[in-house]
Amino acid sequence: MPARQQNASVGRTEAQEALRVRRDHEAIGRLADDLLPALIAKLAASGLGEIEVRESGWKARLRKPAGADEARRAAARASAESHAAHGLAPGRPAVGHGKGSEDRDARREDGEEAAETEPGLAAATSPAVGVYHPRRDLTIGTRVRAGDRIGWVDVLGVQQDVIVPVDGLIGSSLAEAGEAVEYGQRLVQLDPLERVDESGDPGAQGRPAAAGNA
Amino acid sequence: MFTKILIANRGEIALRILRACRTLGIGAVVAYSEADRESLAAQLADEAICIGPADAKHSYLSAPAIISAAVVTGCDAIHPGYGFLSEDEGFADVVRAHDLTFIGPPAEVLERFASKEATRRLLGSHGLPTIPGSGMLRDEAHALGEAERVGYPVLIKPSAGGGGKGMRLVRNPRELESAFKVSRSEAKAAFGNDALYLEKYLDDNRHVEIQVAVDRFGNAVHMGDRDCSVQRRHQKVIEETPSPALSNSARKELAERALRAVAAAGYENLGTLEFLIDAKGDAYFIEINCRVQVEHPITELCTGIDLVALQIKIAAGEPLGLTQADIVSTGHAIEFRILAEDPGKDFKPQGGQIGAYLAPGGPGVRMDSHIYPGYDVPPYYDSLLGKLSVWAPDRAQAIARADAALREMLVDGVMTNIELHRAILANQVFIDGKVTTNLLDRVGSAPFVAAGNR
Repeated sequence: MPARQQNASVGRTEAQEALRVRRDHEAIGRLADDLLPALIAKLAASGLGEIEVRESGWKARLRKPAGADEARRAAARASAESHAAHGLAPGRPAVGHGKGSEDRDARREDGEEAAETEPGLAAATSPAVGVYHPRRDLTIGTRVRAGDRIGWVDVLGVQQDVIVPVDGLIGSSLAEAGEAVEYGQRLVQLDPLERVDESGDPGAQGRPAAAGNA
Repeated sequence: MFTKILIANRGEIALRILRACRTLGIGAVVAYSEADRESLAAQLADEAICIGPADAKHSYLSAPAIISAAVVTGCDAIHPGYGFLSEDEGFADVVRAHDLTFIGPPAEVLERFASKEATRRLLGSHGLPTIPGSGMLRDEAHALGEAERVGYPVLIKPSAGGGGKGMRLVRNPRELESAFKVSRSEAKAAFGNDALYLEKYLDDNRHVEIQVAVDRFGNAVHMGDRDCSVQRRHQKVIEETPSPALSNSARKELAERALRAVAAAGYENLGTLEFLIDAKGDAYFIEINCRVQVEHPITELCTGIDLVALQIKIAAGEPLGLTQADIVSTGHAIEFRILAEDPGKDFKPQGGQIGAYLAPGGPGVRMDSHIYPGYDVPPYYDSLLGKLSVWAPDRAQAIARADAALREMLVDGVMTNIELHRAILANQVFIDGKVTTNLLDRVGSAPFVAAGNR
């Protein structure tokens, strides 16, 4: 794990100093690449408000922003709604898709209503009403972790992050770049990681355990 | 005229605005919170857009969410309804900064009338009698001094808001001392502003308001009065027009004085001036509401004017197209606020799923409601399920029609105050047209219902 154990030795040469700087950078890189995403996922899954980890000379503290729980619940609900999570085009009424009682959802799950999206898949949803901008470097199959920012929604010039609710693989896009989106709208499908880990093949299994785990 | 209006409200008023837009041939987008996805307005609209979570702070009270929704759906105006951001001058200002029109008074007009205490002084200077009261209170000692000067009993009132929040009736210095801090913190919590003032409290007063409309060219008309004396804890329960408390000459004089004052003060768009009438019949101005009122349908029933359509036209910069002579009020109308509340639990508001629902009908019967069978009443907002308004050629017939309509109305699944309404209709004080604002609280709502059931 990252460490800063070099002695501040008296006769430190420039080469040693350069090495120290490089190791520091590497440590920070590892921190960003490995530790932080894992911590974010843990924090997201835990229901805790804050996590602090100490490792050698390093310390990382994560605090959940206000409203994060709400976003998580919204995501959970979205993924639990196996029926018709309409990818709404701007100007299309967002009506008729149920968010009501569970039995109603269950009824629709039985196939009363044709689903536009694959049932049971988790999705990253819009944090606000505005114009959607996905991150351009993500493609289908990219592995993401809970808490990763995969784009933003422009709300009158202010960016609001689109955050991944669960660990998983990027699935198909449900909204285009530059498209007007509403609050809670499903933007990117996610293949949950558990399913990937179990089967090794994200597409193989019919019924992922996505619903409850967001 | 506008091409498309964003409706930034919920419940029955969202539906009412949608209907006005359709009548005018204007497109409409209903902005709704997650909790209102299944609302009737969202279902009936050609377009609807989810602007945020159930918590109104992040949806119906979020200026960025509402304005962003208007921008992305291509609207050119926003109708705020009542409550929420409907009288927020900051919101009106930001709406305009985004090249959208706020349907209501312009921001600077809202600002001029934002403080109740300053409005009282302003309209007082234009000839309206105002109720004796204080200026803004600095602290408790100041409040005690002012109360002494005005004379007990006094009402402690927040300058920023309405709906009875933060309001306290105190009858002596000791009560004032204990109520002052509570009012201040309630006002802070409800309106983000803890400014308070005092007003002389009139025992046995009646609440009468005057509906006005003023366009930007200075054309101004009034549409008579509404009597809102049937109240529970400072909340209106039943409204009627014309007020049985005023003679026709007093009615005319009050309406004309109100209109002259508000026009001279530079008001614009729909507005309602509220007055208290004391036992002697003297009227005192208390406050102005710079928006469409919940109880607007009874004025519509008697005058035949679509007030919401008129409000939209004025905001679009069109002239009133009406003179005072064009406005003829006929007959008598009464409105009943149908609320989801539990009479067995001190009329506590409650949510739940509507089972069966049947709106009453017949001559002169109008129902403004957003409920339908299977509709879940969300617990996050007010408890208004709808408004029954009844018109008849005279008051006695209006009462008879109202009682028939209330008997017909069926709302299953949630408790309502329908029985309370019937009990009030059967009460001799109401039949005599002598209800004062303190009656329900003095007698108690539960005894009213019990008496009505006998």
